[in-house]
Amino acid sequence: MAEKNVENTEEQERLLDEALQVVKMESFHMKRELDKNKLMDGLKHASDLLKELRTSALTPKNYYELYMAVCDELRHLQSHLSDEFQKGRVVSDLYELVQYAGNIIPRLYLLVTVGVVYIKNKPEAREAILKDLVEMCRGVQHPLRGLFLRNYLLQCTKNVLPDHAIDESEKQEGPPALQHSIDFILLNFAEMNKLWVRMQHLGHSREREKRERERQELRILVGTNLVRLSQLEGVDVNSYRKIVLNGVLEQVVNCKDAIAQEYLMECIIQVFPDEFHLQTLRSFLKACADMHPRVNVKNTIIALIDRLAQFAAREEDSGIPSEIMLFDIFSEQIANIIDTRSGMLLEDVVSLQTALVKLAFKCYPNRVDYVDRVLEATMDLFGKRNMDSVPNGSALSSELYNLLEVPIKSYNNILTVLQLQCFAPLYEHLDYESRKRIGVQMLVNALEHHTLLPSAEQVNSLLMLVSPLIQDQADQPTDIDMDDFSEEQGLIGQFIHQLYSEEPDQQYQILNKARTHFEKGGNKRMIFTLPAIVFSAYKLAVRYKELSDEDERWEKKCNRIFEMCRAVINTLCQAEIAELPLRLFIQGALCASELQFENHESVAYEFISQAFSLYEEDITDSRAQLAAVMLLISAVERCRCFSEDSHAPLRTQCAHAASRLLKKPDQSRAVAHVAHLFWSGQITEGDGEPMHDMRRVLECLKKAIRIASQCMESAVQLQLYVEILNKYMYFYEHGCTGVTMELLNQLIKKIREELQDIEGNEESSMIKVHFENALEHIRNHQQSGDGQYSYEGITL
Amino acid sequence: MVLVLVVGDIHIPYRASGLSPKFKKLLVPGKIQHILCTGNLCTRDSFDYLKTLASDVHVVRGDFDDNASYPEQKVVTVGQFRIGMCHGHQVCPWGDTESLAMLQRQLNVDILLFGHTHKFEAYEHDNHFYINPGSITGAFSPISSDVVPSFVLMDIQASTVVTYVYQLQGNDVKVERIEYQKA
Amino acid sequence: MNFFGYGAIESVEILLDGSDKRKKVRHKVSDSKSSEMCIYYDGETVSGAVSVNLKSGAKLDHKGIKVELIGQIEILYDRTNVHDFTTLTKQLASPGSLMQSKVFSFEFPHVEKPYESYFGSNVRLRYFLKVTVGRRLTDLTEELEFVVHTLSTYPENHSSIKMEVGIEDCLHIEFEYNKQKYHLKDAIIGKIYFLLVRVKIKHMEVHIIKRESTGNGPNMYHEDDTIAKFEIMDGAPVKGESIPIRLFLAGYELTPSMRDVNKKFSVRYFLNLVLIDEEDRRYFKQQEIILWRKGDVPRRSAAKGIEESTQRFGA
Repeated sequence: MAEKNVENTEEQERLLDEALQVVKMESFHMKRELDKNKLMDGLKHASDLLKELRTSALTPKNYYELYMAVCDELRHLQSHLSDEFQKGRVVSDLYELVQYAGNIIPRLYLLVTVGVVYIKNKPEAREAILKDLVEMCRGVQHPLRGLFLRNYLLQCTKNVLPDHAIDESEKQEGPPALQHSIDFILLNFAEMNKLWVRMQHLGHSREREKRERERQELRILVGTNLVRLSQLEGVDVNSYRKIVLNGVLEQVVNCKDAIAQEYLMECIIQVFPDEFHLQTLRSFLKACADMHPRVNVKNTIIALIDRLAQFAAREEDSGIPSEIMLFDIFSEQIANIIDTRSGMLLEDVVSLQTALVKLAFKCYPNRVDYVDRVLEATMDLFGKRNMDSVPNGSALSSELYNLLEVPIKSYNNILTVLQLQCFAPLYEHLDYESRKRIGVQMLVNALEHHTLLPSAEQVNSLLMLVSPLIQDQADQPTDIDMDDFSEEQGLIGQFIHQLYSEEPDQQYQILNKARTHFEKGGNKRMIFTLPAIVFSAYKLAVRYKELSDEDERWEKKCNRIFEMCRAVINTLCQAEIAELPLRLFIQGALCASELQFENHESVAYEFISQAFSLYEEDITDSRAQLAAVMLLISAVERCRCFSEDSHAPLRTQCAHAASRLLKKPDQSRAVAHVAHLFWSGQITEGDGEPMHDMRRVLECLKKAIRIASQCMESAVQLQLYVEILNKYMYFYEHGCTGVTMELLNQLIKKIREELQDIEGNEESSMIKVHFENALEHIRNHQQSGDGQYSYEGITL
Repeated sequence: MVLVLVVGDIHIPYRASGLSPKFKKLLVPGKIQHILCTGNLCTRDSFDYLKTLASDVHVVRGDFDDNASYPEQKVVTVGQFRIGMCHGHQVCPWGDTESLAMLQRQLNVDILLFGHTHKFEAYEHDNHFYINPGSITGAFSPISSDVVPSFVLMDIQASTVVTYVYQLQGNDVKVERIEYQKA
Repeated sequence: MNFFGYGAIESVEILLDGSDKRKKVRHKVSDSKSSEMCIYYDGETVSGAVSVNLKSGAKLDHKGIKVELIGQIEILYDRTNVHDFTTLTKQLASPGSLMQSKVFSFEFPHVEKPYESYFGSNVRLRYFLKVTVGRRLTDLTEELEFVVHTLSTYPENHSSIKMEVGIEDCLHIEFEYNKQKYHLKDAIIGKIYFLLVRVKIKHMEVHIIKRESTGNGPNMYHEDDTIAKFEIMDGAPVKGESIPIRLFLAGYELTPSMRDVNKKFSVRYFLNLVLIDEEDRRYFKQQEIILWRKGDVPRRSAAKGIEESTQRFGA
């Protein structure tokens, strides 16, 4: 059959069809002759149908189809022969007779078929026949035909290979029957692999891709030998280690073919049990080192590690036998492999390290030192290859990122990650994006698992690792996505609350340390980070107060804290914001006021003053101004720590600020607000009693009304009047006797009059309702009768 | 039955890192019809989180909120109830009952929701109902010591509102029930 | 059969003694026909009977009846070249008359049969018994052929044929056959080892060539006949491959090698190792083998059968 390979699929279909037709026809004749017990004629037809397998014209896929059809027919022949044997009606010398066939393909297929029948019926001949069959198949050196022939041999002999170490029924002297089976399969495997590898080099170099594809299609034929080996029950771990694996590896290494090696190594892993692998790691991994340069051994090793890691996870108690230093073996062998295979890409090297780290986690979760060893080894490799910083977006960057992510996600405790000595140095090799991502991963992990960082050192280490998020980096890109940025900074802000030590002094160190990092972050970042520091500091001050019995220096410490906060808030002001620092100062003042440590009055005063400065110098938007003023007034009202000397200037400041607001309504409201200061505000000389400065209260309210009447819009004016009316009522009910019924009646009358003139719309009806509610309130008081404030004399 | 979640003073990230997982477990999307937030989220992230729980979210501006477009006060009608919302830092003195009553009269609401003090309160005053859900994260407040994380769930049916307050005491979530009938 | 349509004789038959017990073989009598004949060996007595059957009531007058045992070589392309190398005669009846059918016994004791019967392309060697009934006008003859096989016992030490052949820089092989001398039911066991392969081999065959040489001197005529074409390898080997050969001679029509039979002809056998490449070029190496006929082998046991049918070189 000397036709050239025909590529056209139509042509292929036609050829296959023709061949199948012949097979069908010859098979029909064969069966007919066999039924008539005309064996030789039957064999002649069998030989004729087998001749179709001599073709060179079919693609591997189509040859396979043909082969399957032929095998069906041979099965029939085999079972007929078996029956004849059983009935004792055997043609003597059948094994010889089939060898008379002139063409080798039909001859050998028939020989295998007959041979297997012999073995089944004459077990004493088994050894000789098996050896003969596997040797005679050498006659077919054509790769495709040879592979299928030997596959046929393997399939036919599936159930007749002697399996047990000592075949009791035979009581043979000499090597046990199992050895023969192993030898048989190993030889068949070696020959098949040779043929398979040979396919790589046949034909033109431009057709290499096609050949490689065809080879992949056929790989299972070669792999079946390994499967058969694994099915030998008699092969225990010892015989596997001493005989089977060596035989297989020898062939795999010596064939020097990348496709074969890659497939067969994977096959070995899949086909043999994990217990075997555990005992043969060194041999296997050494073989990996000797693979053809084109073989990416990383895939093989990772497949093995994954398998063993799963095995360890499944077998909870027995798992990895303690005498097998699994990690050490892998560690040592992988280092050897990397050394030997100098062409190995650095990203593949890192990939292996990642697999090794994952192994450490799965099998030895308590051995932090193992993980560190891997990281150290990686560092060394980077050094050897003079790789300083990894290019952005490269495969290496991706692999290194994956490696560093493993401890974060496996420990779920960044404190443990910080224990890894080599984590930070290795991290430094990453490109900017990856460093940032690692930082984010660490923060997210800490927040998810509520990990607290209880020491300044750990805080420092961690903040170094998240530095791309905290500070500008030399290698960061120029344009930043604002959404991402805010999200990241929010993450940092949240994370700051995880910096926590049970020891207050330590906590102070932590905050100080953190602060030095964040202050280098630049204006955009400080807005997100420094406020959280400030609040943490305030909380620390509260803790010191709570532990004041145990620490005699608590007051000095509180002072220091507030000093730090003052500095930090000032730093924040450099970011050209004012509203936030103002509020932070206010919060500080309130805090100091409550804690009452030595010097707290000065601190509170200073903080309020700073707030006022910010208000005066940096807040220009009128709405912001109003909000700031109102906050300042309420804050001063709430602070209980000021003596008259301090409180008076603050009151004045509040009043001034209120009356200097630009918009009249704002002024009115702010001034009305100041009234509360004079009423419920406290000075220390008061011993806890509110000021109740009636005169000043009334002054404020009158002023508020006056300002309100200067408003142009009548609706606004009206709204203000009603509000101020309510304020009057409030103070009246709180004992401010200066609020007379006359005053109230006047105001009520005024409001009523204005209400009549106003235009009817939603806003004005709201005001009406507000007014009605106020009157209702008065009415209720009048009617209830009890209590001091009965509003007697109010005309409704 | 209409469920309304009342939350506030979240203060992420300035004063807190996140909600307690015990609370998060209770807040399941799709069960709540309205969310009324008393303010101080402080950032978009917290708002987005609330949006995952219910689509109807109302927020009033707190003194630390970064979004200037939140109103200072808001009135929402749910069933038969007019509910007013205000963060409360605008009221002087902070947390003062009568001052809050002034606001109630101004907004003409049946229920007034407020925050700022980080202390849970629910009381009737002058036939109107006042609720402060506290701080859901237990955020620091200089004017309140020992802040307990809390939030409130209102179950509004006809003229009754049953208020459930959830508080995280130690490691346990404790629930209390208060009923308010509209006059 | 005969022209005895008229005349007294009905038929003349030759019968061999013990033919039912004697081994028989199918042997060619013409290009298209073969018949079963008895086998005789050298030195064996050839005995039998001639039966002359007369028509009823007929009387045969004859000039004498004899039987001859003839060994004859016939060169086909040269009809004149018919040589009887053995002629033995026995007189069965002196001239006279036969009144009725009669059976005459004969015996040729310990006949020398030096050569084996051979039916070839250009030469035939055959043995036959010829009865002649002498008559006035024409003699009546009847023949009966029988086959002679020559047996040998060659010494058991067989040395193998081993050789290395090749074409410079193209192809180097080492071939080995287990013996030089094979009996007719033997198997050629050998191997081909490839030392250098630089051609694209398609397949490899072993041919068995029979060379029949007739005539002598300048008139020597050879005729080659390829008796067997046995494929031993399919596909292209590489250096270092060893291909097994196992070719059972019993599957082919073979005769022993005959060397200069009666100075008239020779039959020699050669093994031709043929390699065919992708361009159908052929490379071959021829090697003479000696074929001989072994005395009947006893029926072998099944185990022996397996042993012999799984022989491999060096195995």
